Amino acid sequence: MTCTLGEVKNRADFIVYWGGNPAECHPRHFTKYALMPKSQFLPRGRKDRTMVLVDIRETKSVKASDVFLQVRPGKDFELITVLRAMIKDQPISEAQIAETGLSVEQLQDFVARMKAARFGVFFFGMGLSMTRGKHMNSAALLTLAAEMNAFTKFVAMPMRGHGNVTGADVIMRWQTGYPFGISFNRGYPRYNPGEFSTVDVLVRGDTDCAFIIGADPGATMPKPAIEHLKRVPTIVLDPHVTHTSKMARVHITTAPAGISAPGTAYRMDEIPLPLRPALESPYPSDEEVVRRIKETILKKPDWMGERPQMLTTQV
Amino acid sequence: MSAKRYLLNPMRTAKQGVQVNVGKEGDEYIEITTTLSIHPDDMAEIGVSDGDRVLVKTEFGEAEFGCQTAKVPEGMIFVPYGPPTCQLMDGGTDGTGMPTSKGWEVEVTPVGGSKFEEKAE
Repeated sequence: MTCTLGEVKNRADFIVYWGGNPAECHPRHFTKYALMPKSQFLPRGRKDRTMVLVDIRETKSVKASDVFLQVRPGKDFELITVLRAMIKDQPISEAQIAETGLSVEQLQDFVARMKAARFGVFFFGMGLSMTRGKHMNSAALLTLAAEMNAFTKFVAMPMRGHGNVTGADVIMRWQTGYPFGISFNRGYPRYNPGEFSTVDVLVRGDTDCAFIIGADPGATMPKPAIEHLKRVPTIVLDPHVTHTSKMARVHITTAPAGISAPGTAYRMDEIPLPLRPALESPYPSDEEVVRRIKETILKKPDWMGERPQMLTTQV
Repeated sequence: MSAKRYLLNPMRTAKQGVQVNVGKEGDEYIEITTTLSIHPDDMAEIGVSDGDRVLVKTEFGEAEFGCQTAKVPEGMIFVPYGPPTCQLMDGGTDGTGMPTSKGWEVEVTPVGGSKFEEKAE
């Protein structure tokens, strides 16, 4: 249950940022889409919108908010569950509310504002999805958004992180049916986060080679995963020297995508944006390097000998 | 030695985001990702002051950071994501594919020397 940022810009009069700090992490989000723009339905721009920030601390985004709800760390799921009950006028004990770190009045005001909105949006960040509870927290918020549609229009959208992570999900989805954590070992895609996802594969030591394109797991992944990357031959395609390229057996410098190499980037609402290169680069694009590697591999004899048509017997 | 446990929350900042693109080998990126923000009372309890170095330990690893006071809730520590925070993370993902990257219980102990002294040298 989501929408595009264009709809947010034109219609959303009630914005909730949950576990995110857009003032620092998505600095153009307020001005381009969520708070400032004026539209046919919100002619006074910021004055026609209400913004609620839910976080465990006072971030720089607090200044831009109308209401700040400081939830107790690790109690997002509990708070969402309480809100789900309150919108349906189900009984809630004082202890259950106190557990969230907020008062009854704060929550009653929040629920009243949600119900009075014409078009509400939950933008949720890593503060919700990467703390204890993880996908269960996200699922609870998505459920709250769905349930709010009994009263008014409500949607939810994740605040995606690095450039074009949405693109990786979208492409994998239309190619395989799954967004991430996919294994092709049997010759067809299988999906199982926790088993086939990158961190898990590396931590278990299931892979004996790694091919990394435009990412720096050596500076972002947990230590056990990094240790395994150091043990196996790792090939990196990256415009820069990174922590990962330093531990790699092979580092191929490529042209930066969107600056020196053309392509398509997906905005966090999954809108594809074509990119034209502004500068020339002496280096090939990631796509060209991958294509050339693939062509070279195809010239080599198949390690299985004559490959059978179906791989159903291979386990 | 302080035995009190704190809640560590790695997070992102605008400066860190800029420095990721400038270069992770740069002094500024290293400075940002090795400086934690902590409540003044917590800092006093640990026995350190602004600029002093502390060792942060989880059950999975440890890393050294410089301290700075900030307007953060008591009992909580914030530090921008970076190679030092990777050292503290568990490889388990609870079947989700993503490691828990926020809300770890950590032990904080002072270590000799200050970040400022080291710079002066």
